[in-house]
Amino acid sequence: MSGATLYSVSYALSSALLDGLGSILPGPARAVVTNPNVLVGLAVLIFAVILLAASMLNTILLIWWERKLLGRFMDRRGAMHVGFAGLLQNFADGLKLFRKNTFQPTEADALGFYGGPLAYMVTSMILFGVLPISSGWNSGVLPLTLLLALAIFSFAPLFIFVSAWSSNNKYSLMGGMRSAAQMIAYEVPILLAVVAVVIVSGSFDLTTIVYEQQNYWFWGPLVVALIVFVAGMLAEMERIPFDLPEAEAELVEGWNTEYGGMLFAFFMLADYLRALVGSILVVLLFLGGWTLPTWVPSALTSFPLAGIFWFMIKTYTVFGLFVWVRASLPRVRTDQLLRVGWNRMIPLSLLSIFLAAVLVTVKCLPVFGCLPSMGV
Amino acid sequence: MWINMGPQHPMTHGLWNLRVKIDGEMILDVDPEMGYLHRGIEKISEDRHYNEVITLMDRCCYVAGFAWEHLYILSAEEALGVHPPERAEYLRVLCEEFQRIGSHLMWYAAFVQDLGLMSPFLYGMRDRDLVLDLFQSYTGARMTYEYMRVGGVRNDLPPGFSDQARKVLDWLDARFPEYDQLCLGSTIFRRRCDDLGVLKARDCVAHGVTGPMLRSAGMKRDLRKDRPYSAYDRLEFDVAVAEAADVTARYLVRMEEMRQSVRILRQVVDWLDHHPGPVLADHLPRWLGAPYAPIGNEGYLLKRNYPKGVGLSAIEEPHGEALAYVVNDGGEHPYRVKFRSPVFANISASRQYLVGYHVADIPPIMGSVDVCVGEVDR
Repeated sequence: MSGATLYSVSYALSSALLDGLGSILPGPARAVVTNPNVLVGLAVLIFAVILLAASMLNTILLIWWERKLLGRFMDRRGAMHVGFAGLLQNFADGLKLFRKNTFQPTEADALGFYGGPLAYMVTSMILFGVLPISSGWNSGVLPLTLLLALAIFSFAPLFIFVSAWSSNNKYSLMGGMRSAAQMIAYEVPILLAVVAVVIVSGSFDLTTIVYEQQNYWFWGPLVVALIVFVAGMLAEMERIPFDLPEAEAELVEGWNTEYGGMLFAFFMLADYLRALVGSILVVLLFLGGWTLPTWVPSALTSFPLAGIFWFMIKTYTVFGLFVWVRASLPRVRTDQLLRVGWNRMIPLSLLSIFLAAVLVTVKCLPVFGCLPSMGV
Repeated sequence: MWINMGPQHPMTHGLWNLRVKIDGEMILDVDPEMGYLHRGIEKISEDRHYNEVITLMDRCCYVAGFAWEHLYILSAEEALGVHPPERAEYLRVLCEEFQRIGSHLMWYAAFVQDLGLMSPFLYGMRDRDLVLDLFQSYTGARMTYEYMRVGGVRNDLPPGFSDQARKVLDWLDARFPEYDQLCLGSTIFRRRCDDLGVLKARDCVAHGVTGPMLRSAGMKRDLRKDRPYSAYDRLEFDVAVAEAADVTARYLVRMEEMRQSVRILRQVVDWLDHHPGPVLADHLPRWLGAPYAPIGNEGYLLKRNYPKGVGLSAIEEPHGEALAYVVNDGGEHPYRVKFRSPVFANISASRQYLVGYHVADIPPIMGSVDVCVGEVDR
């Protein structure tokens, strides 16, 4: 596992493909196929396709996981009939949505109405490509992955608001307004909580942040930051108790009221993709990413794809906690949400920055141990 | 900006329209519109035999069918001068109290769903199913029962019913603390529901608001105590009252009512165990006693000679105080049937308890009113 990265795999795949193609093609065409630029281009394309397939598969698996878990919390079974334990139910649902007619309300703004969900979907997908899943599964060494991920993450209110406004529906508009207000309010504490992690790890690169957690995972010393980050993520994902933009009780379906068929599926997929990314970020920043503590026997970490395996276990556990919250809490009100965001979350995140600064100064903690060498 | 919440809207729990004038998230004015589910039940009743009207009563309120059957039967019996046997009265109380629990559980499920609580919704529905199972065991139906008859009830309980009923009551008793924990134990719930949708006792009286809403405002009024009907004067129970007049108070009242219903039902089941007897009065004319049997000429002759009379009954329905007025002109059909729906009055007062709150407060407030549109429009 250590040697093979996602890119090297797709490069090998690409060259094997082109070699095979070159051996059967006549002279001039062979020259085109063996051109190194074509080779790299195809490698990048394969890389992207793998990422896309992985993100979609994970999203659909996540929806299944949520349905099953929610079912258990509610004293029922969840999806059961299509595939083993309902695993294929979401594919069936997706196919159904795919076949549905897409309609547009009269006087809806076509550009915003169709462009909004598309942009929302695309930005969410890019997000998945930025994040490292294991030592091999990443998009190369970027010094500012964390910043990039959060920047793309914060595009969402814009696209949601655009699609809500252009739907020409009062419920959509109210949902869009709420969504924008909520996401902007919770963007700030999230960023501040992340600053605490950055201070301790000394890097904006997610891979470095993960390796800085070799002695102890950050959730222990940075528990305040973790709380702020998780609460903020719940708001960013628009999940109960913070799902007021699509509070179905009063706003029908909030900002995506007017969307049906595949456009609705886009929103749904993008929502869960963002939920997945949120869980991944929690794992990366606070739960040691794909690494396990050093006292774990090496047999558990040395099998092929062990990094991805443990990473996914952690991610789905974190998402399970989000589902648990959803199953047991009522929805808050807009003004309460914003008050909590501005009055509680921001002071808490400032406190977490202070604690992180203290941690960096003392370098070693009695229970947890010492920081590894600072990445700066 | 005026928005139409309804007639197709998740908040309505039925088919009505709440027009809301909003400024941002604040409610400036509301205007409830009803009538989307009007089926002319009162008028149709004038064209049905006395026992055939019962079928319509089940459709009046689909979650509290027994209560409306009971209401109609009481006034029809008064109008016709028929007296049911005592066992039938206890059976009716059994039906009504189980129905109260079923209706309140349905309310609980819908109400918490309005607040975004997902699991308790299914817990409420799950436990309501046990009550429906009981109904099915002795009426054969889970929703539209057609069980009560002028002069009694259709049939007696099946063997083993009382054991099953006690099991359900024990189960429910154990569930109520869980419900409270999920709602009252949650800070978010208290923040959302305290001081919300306040309707003081004076306003309740002014708008004819009755039932749990009135009792949540501190007014101890319950027709089962104040104007006992059927066997209620022989049963022990307390009237659930709360003081705060807000959504939480209505929650508390309904929860306490369910507990009291369980208490009543234990007494009723015990009584039924020890007092076997007829469940249908034996002095009825054939066309009343056996409604779906072929009616001979004899029956038609009898009905013409039925004594004239007027019946007025009032019962404490799960949603509030319902009234029925039946005029008997000696013919085979009631001359006139008129109902008072408690929910109609409760919704009509919505301007009093909605204006000034947030849009997000509409679902919990209207949820705490417990709307059943079937009986509003009839």
